[in-house]
Formats: sequence, C-alpha cells, structure tokens
Amino acid sequence: MALIRGRERGTGAQIFTASMADIVFLLIVFFVLTYKVEVDKTQMNLPETWVRKKVPEKAAVISIAPREQGSTIRVSTGEEMALPVSTIEEVITFASTEVAKNPDREFILKADQDVEYAKVDEVLDALKQSKAKFIFLLSEQLTADKK
Amino acid sequence: MNIKKKEIASEIFTGSMADISFLLIIYFMITSAFSATRGLDFALPEETDTPEIKQEDSIEVHVMPGGAIEVDKKSLPVDGLLPYVLEKLQQNPDKPVILRTDPEATYGDMISVFDRLRRANEEWTDDQGNPMFKDVNGNPLTEIKTISIPTQREIENIWNLLDMG
Repeated sequence: MALIRGRERGTGAQIFTASMADIVFLLIVFFVLTYKVEVDKTQMNLPETWVRKKVPEKAAVISIAPREQGSTIRVSTGEEMALPVSTIEEVITFASTEVAKNPDREFILKADQDVEYAKVDEVLDALKQSKAKFIFLLSEQLTADKK
Repeated sequence: MNIKKKEIASEIFTGSMADISFLLIIYFMITSAFSATRGLDFALPEETDTPEIKQEDSIEVHVMPGGAIEVDKKSLPVDGLLPYVLEKLQQNPDKPVILRTDPEATYGDMISVFDRLRRANEEWTDDQGNPMFKDVNGNPLTEIKTISIPTQREIENIWNLLDMG
C-alpha cells in the first residue's frame, strides 16, 4: 500500500545573515582607521624596557638591522618606506636635512637588541652632529617576571 | 479598456557586496601592522665646544660587554645601581649620571641599564606618587635630573682636551 503523505512541511534551516553587513562594515571601518603603514619592515628583536613612552607618529625613523642581516642602517622620513644607507655620512646628511626643515624634529631609533653598541654609537653621534634634539629608542614591554 | 501596467522592480544587486567586503577586511588585516609604538625617550643636549662636566662631579656608569656594570670604576651588581645613585644624589641632587657603554657590548646591554636609571622615578616614589626620599637640603628626590650618554667621539674629544690641559 502506498503511503499517502501529507504535504511536506518545509522546516527551512536558515542562518540569519542580515546583521552580517553591519559587522563586516564595522570591521572594515576599524581596520581603515587603525591602518598605519609601517615604514620600516625589518624584522628584529627590540630591547625590552620597563619605562615606555609613546613615540610621535610622524617622527623620522632610523633602523639598524640585526647582525645576521649585516647591521644595515635604514632611514625614513616617517612617511616613505625606509631606504638603506651605506655610510654614516648619509645618516648625517639625512638627519641634518630633517632638522633644517624642523629644528624640533623627533627621531626614532629602531635597533636590534644584539647589535653591537659601536654601531648605535655611530648613529647617535650622527644625530648629535646633525643637532637633533629628541630621540626615542623603540622598545618592547619588559614583563614583570624578567624585571 | 484597462491595461495592467507591468511593474518593474528596481533593486540594487547586493549579492557581491559580501565578497567585496570580505576582500577588504582580509586586505586590511594582512597589511595593517601592529607595530611597536613605544620606547625610551631622551633629549640630546645642545653641543657645546667646551664640555664642563668634571669627572668628580658626576656618577660614571660603564656598561661592560655581557651587561655587567662598573660605577665610578667599581664593579657593582645591576640591582645595586639605583641605591648607589640615590645615596650620591642625596648629597648632591644635581649630579649628572654619565652612561658610557663599551663598544663591544650590545645595544640591549646599554638599554637595560638606561631603563634601570629611568625607573628611578617609580622606585623613589610610593604608590600615590609621593616622594620617599629627600636630599640634604630637604627637597624631595624623585628622579635623576640628568642622564648623559656621551658618544665615543665626544669621550675622545674630552680626553684630547684633558691631555692638552
């Protein structure tokens, strides 16, 4: 005997997607607002410090790559991508130009923690010769267990 | 005769919006870098032709390779640095601290000692930010007023001047 089935009731399982657009746009807005171009993408282990002050956003950047990468020095005005320089005189020229444009120009020094101090000393000396006044030494947060 | 008007439903096609939105999210997520935006600040002094810091008027901290330190030519554990500086500053709060680093040492060695000196403010004040120590004149002592980081060239210049003298 054939089974007579009643009209099948459609229990349509649905995922509610109406709010998806809101969420997606919220995320887009968040990323657009927080988006910041990193001018120097050199991968390195920054030194860790307990005291950390916020660095100015548009400061000029001087980076020193880790020893394995040849301790290359790169400079950036804070707006363009960092470019490698081969001599310390080029750092002096770069810093002097920046200081000439703005005497209170801030500089960020981003250096690997294992880089030899002699290299950092050269850069600091170049900044002093260029009459730079404000320097920020980029660092990571030192955690209490290492304090 | 009544002619039924054909209604043309006007609508904006939103089917691809989700694709575009997710593409944008992925783009911004990948390219946005949560970079380090904090660090230690210090101001460089204006360069003068005649350095006036006399060695006996300052506290000289020498960072050796490996991170060990010598303070006023005597080796000292890093933990003993701030108590030593505090004792000296209580006698003379204007004493500058000169931080010299061996060229063979690493940047990390120097930064850890510099950070310790900068921590003076936190160590010498209580939880409410009230000063815990006073100098000989009875003034509160909350920080090291001058921390100088001379470069190798400046040190050599000073030596040359001393030799000439």
